[in-house]
Formats: sequence, C-alpha cells, structure tokens
Amino acid sequence: MTYLLYPGCSLEAGGSHYEVSVEAVFKALQVELKEIEDWNCCGASIHYVGGTELQTKTLNARNLALAQKQGGYDIIAPCSSCYIQMVKTAHEFDEEPELAAELNQILGEGGLSYSGGIKVRHVLDVLYNDVGLERIKAAVKKPLTGLKVAPYYGCQTTRPYGEYDSVEEPTSMDEILAALGAEVIPFEHKVKCCGSGIFFTEMDTCAPLVGDIIGEAAAGGAALISVPCPMCQMNLEIYQPRLEKILKTELDMPVVFVTQLMALAFGMDPNKDAALNRNIVSANEVLRHLAA
Amino acid sequence: MDKNQACYLCQGCGLGEALNFEKLQEVVEEAGIGEVKTHEQLCSPEGVAFIQGDVDGGVNAILLGACSCRVKTNEFDFGPEVIVERASLREQAVYPSEAEYEGEEEAGEDRQMLAEDYLRMSAVKLAKSDVPVPFQLEEAPETSVMVVGGGVAGINAALAAAKAGVDVFLVEKEDALGGFLGKMAKLAPENPPYQELEDTHLEALVAEIEGNDKIKVYTGNTVTETKGAPGNFDVTLSGGESFRCGAIVQATGWLPYEPEKLAEELAYGSNDAIITNVDMEAKAKAGDLGGIGSVAFIQCAGSRDQNHLPYCSAVCCTVSLKQAMLVKEANPEAAVYVIYKDIRTPGQSEEVYREAQRKGVVFIRRGEDYPKISESGGKLAIETADVTLNDTVEIDELDLVVLATGMKPNNPRVVEPPLVALGMDQEAAKKVAAEAKAACDDWSVLNLKYRQGPNLPTLKYAYPDSHFICFPYETRRTGIYAAGTVRRPMRVTAAVEDATGAALKAIQATKAAAGGFAVHPRSGDMSFPEFAMQRCTQCKRCTEECPFGAINEDEKANPLPNPTRCRRCGVCMGACPERIISFKNYSVDMIGSMIKSIEVPEEDEEKPRVVVLVCENDALPAIDMAARAGHKWSPYIRFIPVRCLGSINLVWIADALSSGIDGVMLFGCRRGDDYQCHFIKGSELANVRMSKISETLDRLVLESDRVRVEEISFGEVDKVPQIIAEFMETIEEVGPNPYKGF
Amino acid sequence: MVMATKAYDKSFREEVYKNVDSGEDVKLCMQCGVCGITCPLRDKMTHGPRQIWSLIRAGKRDEVMDSPDIMLCTSCYTCKVRCPRGVKVIDIMHGLAHYALEQGIVPRAETAKFGKVFWDSIYKTGRVDETEVPMRYTLTAGPIHGLFNTLEMMDIGRALLSHKRMKFKLGPGIPPSKKIKGIKGLKKMLDKAQAMSPGKEG
Repeated sequence: MTYLLYPGCSLEAGGSHYEVSVEAVFKALQVELKEIEDWNCCGASIHYVGGTELQTKTLNARNLALAQKQGGYDIIAPCSSCYIQMVKTAHEFDEEPELAAELNQILGEGGLSYSGGIKVRHVLDVLYNDVGLERIKAAVKKPLTGLKVAPYYGCQTTRPYGEYDSVEEPTSMDEILAALGAEVIPFEHKVKCCGSGIFFTEMDTCAPLVGDIIGEAAAGGAALISVPCPMCQMNLEIYQPRLEKILKTELDMPVVFVTQLMALAFGMDPNKDAALNRNIVSANEVLRHLAA
Repeated sequence: MDKNQACYLCQGCGLGEALNFEKLQEVVEEAGIGEVKTHEQLCSPEGVAFIQGDVDGGVNAILLGACSCRVKTNEFDFGPEVIVERASLREQAVYPSEAEYEGEEEAGEDRQMLAEDYLRMSAVKLAKSDVPVPFQLEEAPETSVMVVGGGVAGINAALAAAKAGVDVFLVEKEDALGGFLGKMAKLAPENPPYQELEDTHLEALVAEIEGNDKIKVYTGNTVTETKGAPGNFDVTLSGGESFRCGAIVQATGWLPYEPEKLAEELAYGSNDAIITNVDMEAKAKAGDLGGIGSVAFIQCAGSRDQNHLPYCSAVCCTVSLKQAMLVKEANPEAAVYVIYKDIRTPGQSEEVYREAQRKGVVFIRRGEDYPKISESGGKLAIETADVTLNDTVEIDELDLVVLATGMKPNNPRVVEPPLVALGMDQEAAKKVAAEAKAACDDWSVLNLKYRQGPNLPTLKYAYPDSHFICFPYETRRTGIYAAGTVRRPMRVTAAVEDATGAALKAIQATKAAAGGFAVHPRSGDMSFPEFAMQRCTQCKRCTEECPFGAINEDEKANPLPNPTRCRRCGVCMGACPERIISFKNYSVDMIGSMIKSIEVPEEDEEKPRVVVLVCENDALPAIDMAARAGHKWSPYIRFIPVRCLGSINLVWIADALSSGIDGVMLFGCRRGDDYQCHFIKGSELANVRMSKISETLDRLVLESDRVRVEEISFGEVDKVPQIIAEFMETIEEVGPNPYKGF
Repeated sequence: MVMATKAYDKSFREEVYKNVDSGEDVKLCMQCGVCGITCPLRDKMTHGPRQIWSLIRAGKRDEVMDSPDIMLCTSCYTCKVRCPRGVKVIDIMHGLAHYALEQGIVPRAETAKFGKVFWDSIYKTGRVDETEVPMRYTLTAGPIHGLFNTLEMMDIGRALLSHKRMKFKLGPGIPPSKKIKGIKGLKKMLDKAQAMSPGKEG
C-alpha cells in the first residue's frame, strides 16, 4: 500500500504531533507514505481574502499535478482543511471540462499539467476503508480499555462530499476508537463547527462554538476529545486559557489526534511515536493508567 | 349447487402449538362438515397439493382455517367453481391473543373459544354461499369507447384506445380538434434535462387521429343523451347521429378563472398591460414578446384564496416559468420577476424552475397579501411585501403584469359559491354549496338518463371524481372515466398520462361488462345483487342510496337494476328494509346466521362477547397488520368482514343483541371530506343509520353505548388495539347484555 | 428589521453574477432558508446567507457590501450539504468578501488583516509559515498595539514553542521563511489565474 502524503503547512508546525503520529501509525500498519515533493499551501479556509477562487484552485491543481508526476497514487491529506481544498479542486476539475482547460492553461505557466483522476483521501478514509478495522484491531497491543473518548470530526473532515462517511453523522472514527478498545461516548457535536479558519481572528464570536463542543464532551464524561484535524486540535486546545476567560467557565480538556491514540494502543512510544509530549493540555493524567 | 364440503386446518405459523386441533375438528364436525383435515403448512406446495387432490376428487366447498383471507390468495384459489371460505385463525385468533388470559379457568381457553367461533362462523358462511353466475347483458356487449372532448386529453385517450385495438367515437364541440392545446405557444420542458421549451405537436396529433381508421371524429357536436350501462351505452349527438358504445371517457377540459373578479385586488381591467396568463399565452403564440423590457408575473392570482379559488391549480407556477422563459428567449436582457406565495412545481417541473432561475428570472416571495399594481409614467409599478427581506419593495417601469390565474372545472354552472363556501360561516356555506352543487349536477356534458341525475357526481370544488387517492379517472358512474383537467387542474404532461389511464380503464370496463364481473375495487367479482321483487315496497331507498347510480326506477318506483353499472358494494342490501336484496355469496341471512352461530357464555362466566363488523378495505387490513405487528387485544372480540359498512343491514345489530352479544362495533374507513371509502359513502351511511337506532335500542331496554361506529384508515395500525380496548372498557361499564340466555 | 423601501434595481445583481466568484449561483437560491438556520454563527449575523442573496437580487448594493456577514463564514460546509439546490453558499460568501475587499471595503478588519498576511506568505514562499504569519499579523496593528497583541499572545506562542509546535524566530523574517523550489512558477501561475478570474478579464 503506497500513498502520497500531502502534509500541509500545519503538520510542519502547530500540528507536528499529528505528523509524527500519522507516520508512526502508518509505518506500524505497513502503509508506505511518500511526501509530495515541493508541495505548496492549499489556501486553507482563509484563502479568499487575498486570492480569487481560481487562484485557490490553482494552488491545489499544482499539488495534484505534482502528485501525478510522482506516480499518481492516491493522496492522503491528514489536515481536513487541506483535504477539502484538494478534494474540491479534484472534483471540480473532473466534472467541469471548462475549468479543467483553464487550470491547465494556468499550470502551463509553470511548466506543469494535470489530466485529472487522482483521488484525494482523508486519513480516516484510508484507515477505515483501505487498512480496515480488522488490521487495526490486530495491531492493538495495549487496548484503551476504560478510556472515555468524545469523537470530534469537525466540519471539513466529511463535508461537503461525504465520500467515505456520512456528512451529518460519521462513524468511521468512532469505530476506529472502539477497535482500539476505547469507550466512545455519544457525541452530538461531532460535526459541529469550531470556528475553523476565522477562530483566531474572531475569537469572541466563535468562543461559544468551542465552549459547546468541550462542554458536551465533559458532560458526557469524556476524558479527552479525539480529533482527525490539526485546525480543530488547535482551536479546541491551545486557546483554552483565553476561552476560559471569555466564557467564564473551566475547560481543561485534552484534545488529541486519533493517530496519537492509535500509536499508544499499538504499544508504541508515548512521546517518540504518539508525540503526546506535544499536547499543551496534557493527556498524560488520563492516559497514565493505560500505560501499565 | 351440490356442495361437497371439506375443512382444512393449518398448523403452521405457530397455530399448531397455540390451539387444540382435536377440539377444533369436533367444532367443525358439529357445524356439519364431515371431512376435516389438518396439515402442518397448507400454503406450502405440498399443502396446496393436499387440497388440490381432494378438489380433483370432487370437493367443491372448502373451509380453510389458516391465515387471513387477504394473504396467499393465489395458493388457495382452486378455480371459479370451488368456493373457498377462510377463517383467519392466525391474524384474528392466535396472533392478537395471549397464551394465557386473565380470569381463565384453564390457560388458553379464551383463545381456543375464539378460534372455535371463527370456524363456526365460517362454516355457516360456507353453507350459505353459492357460486356466482356472471350477469349477461341481454344484447351483445359493445367494446367500443366514446371519448368526449377533443383537447390534449381527449386526443390522447382516443389514440390510446385505438392503439389498444378498439373502435373510438371522438366527439368535440368545436369545429376543430385541439382544445386549449391549440391556443398554446409552447409547452414547458417535458423531457430531460428540462431546459428547452417544447412544441405542442398538435398538427401531428390531429393527423394521427385523422389517419386512424379506428377513430370516428364528430366535430361540431355535443352529446344530447346517454342511456344504458357499461357494455350498452346508447349515445345521441346534437348533430342527430347516434351510436352504441361500451364505455366512455369524458375529457372536456377546464375554464380559466375569470380575471374580472380580480379588479379590486389586482387592478384587472384598469390597464391593458395587466393581462392573464391565458392572454400572455396568446401573445406568445402571436410572437408578440420581443418588445417586453420588463415583466412581472403575479402567482396565485385568485388562487389559494378563500374569496376566489380556494385551491391550488398546480399549473400556474409552471406556466409562469414557461412564459418567463419565453420572454427571456425573445429578449435575454429583459427584467423578469415572479412574485409568488410558494412556487409549486409538481414532478419534474422543479427542473423548469431551476432553468428559469439560471436564465436570470428573479423570484420574490410575497406572503399572503396581493401586490399593489399602479400606473406610473405610462408604465406599471408594483409594490409588494418581500417576505425574505422582511420589507416592502417596489418594482418600477414594468411593461407588463401577468396575473397567473387558475383553472375552474368545465361546467358553466360553476359559480363562486361552492368554491367560496369553505371560508364562510359553516351553516351559510353549506347552504350555498348545496345550491351550487345542485346547479352543477343539473348540467351535464353527457346528459345521462340515470335516476340519480344527468351529470357525473362531483367530489370537491365541483370536479367529478370518486376518490382522490386510490382511483384516479374513476368517476361515480361505472364505465365512465374522467381524464385531464375535467377531473382536477393539471398540466399537459399529466393530462396525457390521464388520457392513457382512462382509456385503458374504459376498455377494462367493456371487458368487465362482457364477462359479467366487477371493476374496481372488487375487480373480478362475479356476484351481483339480486332482488326478490315480489316483496319490494317501492320505498326507493336502494335507488337513492346506490353510490354509483346503478339502479334506475320504473314509473311505479320499482327498482330497475343495471348490473354492469354495479360495483358490488352491497349498499343497496344494507339499505333495504325488507331485506330483499342479496348476492350469491353475501346476504343478510348469511351474516345474521354467522352472528347467531357465536357461542355466548353465560352471564356468570364473566366472558362478554363483542361482534365487530369490519370494512374489508380499510379496517380489515389494519387489523391484519396490527396482529402481525404483535399487538394484542381482548379475546372476547369476534370480527366479521363486510364488503362495506354501507352494506350493513340494521337487522344484524338486532340479531347480535338478541342473541346475548354484549356489544357491536362497526369498524370502517374515514368519512367526511377526506373520505377513504372505496364506495364513496359507505362509512357515512353507516354512521347515519346507526345514529337512528338508539330509539330501537331504548325500546329493547338496551343502552345505546353497546353499539358504536369507529373509523380508521388503512395505515393506522397502532389505533386498532386502542379502539378495541376503549370499546371493551365501555362494554364492561355497561355490564352484561340482559338478553343473555334467552 | 425594516429597510427603506427602494425599487428593485438590476444593475447590482448583474454585477455580482458577472464579477463575483460563484456569483451566478445566487440565481439558483429558492429562498428556503436552510442555509441561514443551519449556520453555526447565525446568531451573530444580521442578514445571513438567504437574505444576502435576496438583497443582491433586489439590487441593494450598500447593504450587501457593507454587511459584516459576508466575511463571517467559517467554511464549515453545513449549508452547502443541506442546500436543496446545491447552491455554492460558501464560495459565494468568499467571493463577496473578496470582491468587497478589492474595492477597499473591509467587512471584518481582523480577519482581513490576517488573511492578507496569510495570502502574502503563500504568494511569496508557496507555504504558510505558522510562526511568521501570526507575527506579521500582530504587527499589522501598528508597532504599539502590535506589541500589546504580541504580549497577549505570548503565552500561547511560548506554549507552542516549548511543545515543538512552532519554530523559533526572533521576529518576522528572522530567520526568513523557506520558499518552495518552484516558487517562481507558482507566482506566474497565480498571476495568470488572477487575470483569468471573473471580472478581471480584459
């Protein structure tokens, strides 16, 4: 199993623990990841301020063109924002011949071209559909027994196309977590928005969104929230001290990537592989009893 | 006929474990059937072969104690000469009862008694049933079809019938075929991807009619008289010609709602640039749209409005979308507005809506109030509420305002009253509605020589139809089918479908008339009512109450039945005070005897008995489904299916109460405006008749609470146990029937 | 809220259909309101998407261009998946915000500043440096305010740094962000794409 990895800007910085754990988990599951060479930013959710729609599609078309040059394997985009930008361009390229021609004219300016057809996949998609729950279960050495987890998918993980899971009620991460032995709590906010790309700049406005998500997780008895997106992880985690002031409530909820939990359950190193030492709201306390 | 009876008891589906079959066998033998056999699964190929073997050996009257008569009908059909009577041990005895019931001396005794009673009743029914002999018309039945109306529905009905191989008489009052289709510029998109306006193709249709030697066209003619019955309709035309046909399709179209009535609300008549959608169509047909720089369409102009047409005509939105597209085709730069309450685009017209939007037509949601139309500087201006903007907005410089008016039934006697009636004071409304209805009913396209009047009875808003869901095209006059906008407002596509449906129904009716069997809903039923005329008192109840106008009268008020008009509902049988009307396999005596065959325990046993007369179209399926869904109810209940609650003769109530039955319930379908009755008004009639028997009950010193009419619709499965429980509670409160043991 | 009555004017809607990214999709809205009630920030909006489309059709240019709502989209795609007409709600919103900004109208100042720095980083280096971009953004408030902003965000920055989730920088451009190898080609492509965007042709 070989895929092209599109890390995206977040995985190089704020979501570095995602990258570490993704690579560790896929290695353990014998999935080969080859990074797209010289990839560029996808534009993320805030692209429109400086760029036009066509410019944003250009950014993504360039990455698709590079991927095609590199063998045309399916692309894994772990960040949901990158995933949605790329999958959107890939879809529209394949469905709208006029747009495809325009994009190729543009790519030509940099000596590239793209003929369409590459599939862009989310980490959850590949884990659930290609690797499968059976192989994941087989790799579990230290089941997360007794760990109550709130599964938070965020917006762009399954929306808008719903290619591999329901757009309103996804279950792939629930099932993966259950395969790890964790107890997945029912979670109504699993696809409710956290504020995404404008959270940082509109924090007062968006604070209640995160407050509600963490609030429901806490009320349901979750020890932590599991996410598959670095933007969600960031919005839900690093601003908690500031949000506590805005919302006048205590939060203190660890937010970890599903791949971090996988690495842990696979019996890998909690820091080197699961990169749990990179979580600002530490999950060590709630995960300690599992270490035994 | 000489009956060679046998009974087969099925032990499948858990019946074997639930019931004592030795005792059941004894009961059947006591009821007079000597041959009783049990089988582990009668509906299996082996089980069917088991019965067939006996049929081959001469058995011709079968009592089946198994599942509901509504299931496995193919398996248990042994040909027209073999009577099969089915006791529904599964859905009526075993499934809905508990293995142990409160107050039982011996566990399961109530369930056993229940099953035994069903077998007794079925044995009686079998004994009293005969094989029906189909009715034959005196003169050879006709297979031809008359189509009245040469518009889109009539043309298509004629073509469909001719293609199916029958001769067609096509009658049109104008001098040329086409009807409103001839006045249309274009049709809204009818084919995927629903983006292109389409031609009417009227010339091609007319050419096809003219080139078809099976179709005889009478233009410039109306129908002056229609006599007879399906198979033998005798028709006279205004031109003096006459012919005989087997069935009729009425496709006489619609009338536009009069815009003059909108003078106040929508300034109609104040300015030549305020026109209707009918005018707009003429303008488009004349190629006169090029000069329009801006136009506004006002939807629901006099529709869905208690002061005008209270209903939605279902076409005006699509028509405006089409006309908006026509304007855009003539001038892509034109500003086109559609001011609406709700855009209603049935079927694929939603795609037409989308296409009009793509072309840049602007839609404004107005709410209930009409926009104000005024003149300004030689142009028109509109001020309207914009619900989405929560504001009042203006549209200036309009060249044209098109009022999207609706469709009226094509009956010149139709005036506002029946349509307005809904919104008025109810008593006053009923009065005007009744007057207007009488006026409508007195006018007719077909001029039927029927005892019940010359016109097709109307259902609602003066449209002739019989049932809004189950039987499209089916009017209340058997063998006469309404197609297209004569039946309800609809667009061309729907009228074409209607035409085909009605043509096929008409052909089916001629076949039924020839074969002596019933059409919808008792399709294939070969029984028909027989009158013991020597006891008739000429009371006219049967002729008045027949929902299908099947019975005429002679000058002495003797009923003259027309069996090919009959739908076999038995309403006449229920109506007859002398009980002279019966069917070979359904009679007053039969059901009465079934009731009397129920074993009524002594009062001190504290086991009441309740008989429920069940409508076989709605209540019976609901009961079957409730039983299969696992609902439970009292084992003191005995169901007896009837063809229609309208066929219930009051004597059955007396039979029940005098034999000690503690209560009688009539379990039928919905009545009223949204009736579900397959026979129009059976449930209604039963209710009226029952309301009149409390006097009789008082005379018998019996509480009127013992008799109740309940309605249920097909799908209300959960209500079955609830209604039964409530009635059982009442019966408990009222106490045992004092006639027990007499 | 009641607005001043004003006649429908077709010039603005034609402008939006022609010049705004995905602007033509506004035509397809059937005013059901699902987008509005579905939006996670519906309580924070004055108009919401449905009303914005109506305002466009009515020709109310100022109300639309001055509405802060057009830049409050979180791109969560809930409206997009629920819209029965498949209207590209998010793309139109983004298009409108971009169109307003281009004309010097700033619906939401902070997001606009951040987005500008973000896009500049993409245009100049091909990627977004998650240390550089926030630093430059905080300085957009001017040296004094920028310093306060920086101090306020300091704890978060420090936390990220100490958890290996941020690179160390003394200040913007120290050391400079890395560029992708194909940055020259990318710039050419982005320039070409801009020239080909709606409203930019010719």
